[in-house]
Amino acid sequence: MNIVDSDLLRTARSRRPFASRNAGKCDVAHATAALCGEGPLRGAAQTLPHQTRFTFGAKRLDDALCREGQAAGLPLAALHEIHAAESDDSSSAAAFALLMAERARMAVVSSHLPLLWARESRTGRQQGLLYPPGLVELGIDPDGLIMVEADDPLSVLRAGADAAHCVSLAAVIIELAGSRPKGWDLTASRRLSLSAQKSGVPVLCLRQNAAPISPMSPMPPIPSAAYSRWTVASAPSTPLEANAPGHPAFDINLQRHRGGLDGLSARLEWNRDQKYFAEQPATKQEPRRKEPPDIGAGHAVSVIGTDRETRYRTG
Amino acid sequence: MPFLSSERIAKHGIEPADLAAGRPYALTDKIKGAVVLQAVDRIAAALDLAPGMKLADARARVPDLRAFDHDPLADAALLDRLAHACLRYTPMVSATPPDALVLDISGCAHFFADETALAHDAEDRLDKAGYNTVWALARTPDAALALARHGLREGAEAQLPVAALAMDDKTHRALERAGLYHIGDLAARPRATLVTRFGSELGLRLDRIMGIEDRPINPLMVEGNVHAERRFAEPLTHLDFALVCLAELFQEAASALEKRGRGARMIRMMLFRCDGAQSILHIETGAPTRDTALFKRLLHERIGALDDPLNPGFGYDLIRLTIIADEPLKAEQYRLEGNEGRNRNDQADDEQALVSQLSARLGRDAIKHFIAADSHIPEQGLLALPALDIRAPHVWDVPHHGEPPLRPLHLFDPPQRIQVVAEVPDGPPHRFTWRRKIHQICLYEGPERIASQWWRKKDGQQAGKGGLTRDYYRIEDVRGRRYWVFRHGLYGSEKANPDWYIHGLFA
Repeated sequence: MNIVDSDLLRTARSRRPFASRNAGKCDVAHATAALCGEGPLRGAAQTLPHQTRFTFGAKRLDDALCREGQAAGLPLAALHEIHAAESDDSSSAAAFALLMAERARMAVVSSHLPLLWARESRTGRQQGLLYPPGLVELGIDPDGLIMVEADDPLSVLRAGADAAHCVSLAAVIIELAGSRPKGWDLTASRRLSLSAQKSGVPVLCLRQNAAPISPMSPMPPIPSAAYSRWTVASAPSTPLEANAPGHPAFDINLQRHRGGLDGLSARLEWNRDQKYFAEQPATKQEPRRKEPPDIGAGHAVSVIGTDRETRYRTG
Repeated sequence: MPFLSSERIAKHGIEPADLAAGRPYALTDKIKGAVVLQAVDRIAAALDLAPGMKLADARARVPDLRAFDHDPLADAALLDRLAHACLRYTPMVSATPPDALVLDISGCAHFFADETALAHDAEDRLDKAGYNTVWALARTPDAALALARHGLREGAEAQLPVAALAMDDKTHRALERAGLYHIGDLAARPRATLVTRFGSELGLRLDRIMGIEDRPINPLMVEGNVHAERRFAEPLTHLDFALVCLAELFQEAASALEKRGRGARMIRMMLFRCDGAQSILHIETGAPTRDTALFKRLLHERIGALDDPLNPGFGYDLIRLTIIADEPLKAEQYRLEGNEGRNRNDQADDEQALVSQLSARLGRDAIKHFIAADSHIPEQGLLALPALDIRAPHVWDVPHHGEPPLRPLHLFDPPQRIQVVAEVPDGPPHRFTWRRKIHQICLYEGPERIASQWWRKKDGQQAGKGGLTRDYYRIEDVRGRRYWVFRHGLYGSEKANPDWYIHGLFA
């Protein structure tokens, strides 16, 4: 009896490492496993990982993302791409990816799991370093974030792929800069997507400074196996009293969706206290103030019409 | 190893032709503008050149003397390597800079005929590696060091010159003037008068050389069967966290023991305080165990039973747990269901495995987690430590309910300079130019005034010497991008024309 037990023990033990070692290499086996629903279970949820979904919290958006017979929102076990609309929107896109990950973390039962963020070390100099007090201000616990800084995009992708196998993460964010990051192709995205399906960990690919996807651009966009692709831009916030900037607001646009729902767009505002996105009414946003006359930089000039002479000066 | 520095050069920095020609050489360093010999090789030493001479004087005596740069750090690294190599003889090895190793070989000679054979073996091996050694055996490390440095053998302590005491030159001269040239002369004197005249330090050193009092050496590592230790970048100032850490260490040790099919019987815990003090605790279990819950219980009991309670003082910066004794303990049987019994610990293991794997690949500094900094200076908040390190307990400031984010998601370090159009003296910015783009500001909040750390500066309490104050503004441009900018210095009082910087980007 003892011998039988130990044999079983060996098979039971060897199963998982074997599966994870070969995952990513043999995509076919992997895909079959995912189709048959053999993925490991996350938390106490008895549903299969690819059926669990997470929502934004904005009802119109979530319902629009809903496909027949399914819950609202986006699937957890999938790869989602988030593009910054312009280079100035990098922080908004990063925040949106983080907040999506946070919503995904809330959707799984064991929500204490950490989040992994992989980025190139040089993007920190370009776009700024992730600032823990700023994370707190968005409602994200910095203790639940593992930062991975690699030297080149390939290492970032490798680290991301390894992390996507690990079932004890809430989400993986892979930040890539440039329109054609090295190593980012259909194979890579397919691999990440399959790993996400297998482990049930959402993988969010954050693309900074990627060229705007338009048919007019000379270089065709890199094909990707992502379930959805979002373009994120910062939106004017609802001013608070005394004309202070308000809560983070995003203009999001669904560029691509497995279910064919592209073209969906919304203006969302993040509510930190309740941790959900609220949709802002789609009012026509004009510049809220007329621009003062161009007085140029580098000169001190007088502005006529004030009760005292006010000097504008460059810093 | 009297010629350690020069032999290091001989192995790494000199052409074989020069070596064969037998040209003497020396290592020099610049001290107060003069090039001074710091170490010499065997040939130069035979020509009466000695460390401390000026290079010009030495060249006057030996014209073909070659000189190289002295590198004490490389010497220390070499000594450390040699010390590690000597771990083969005994676990108690200590490197004594600049050029000596102390090996505690008590009870370690059973692989050799006797202690002398062991010493000869060590000498041979070092000789093969290209390092000359002089060695001595003695009852205490100080005696052995003194004997070796003065070329004497065991039992010749009395013949050592008083310089072997390694006190200051003044003391040595005073002793010699009193007619006391050898350690033996000193040892024969009544101790009380010597101590009254030269201080208790002399008595202590004398005892150590004469083998009356032992001095513990600081070994590279104390061998136990299984160790686990944690080093903290920020010392743990609370005992409870240290206890949690000990429990985690035990868990680590237990998993190591499990691989060997053994359980802990005796556990030694060393808590090193950052001010140098340390406490050592021992726990002995009745039966071999790998049970963390049991260990925690025992630990609490042990600490409750201490005569003087553990005092973290300035904090523990190193906690080490060693399993001194272990006994066989059968492996735990997995359940037949296999993976179904996965729980929180397994998940934590998975995560840790990932972190270790990534750290092994990308370097331990590449995988980080954030630490809350206890400072009001914004860029200090970027503190992040390798995820392999245990993080010291900390709390994050909780933002106020309903407030928008007051700190940016991305921070620039250093801040980037921008051109700003703003009202003087302290009005908000109206527009700014950053990265060749003009941003028109339509919403702003501020200023949030953040003073510099004037207490860190010399005469910082005086006006104008405490550094520049920053006035931070949270601004939004017409396109909806939110920025964190500041004016560096108060207009007029601190700076005539303060600069503006962009420090962060909000979501």
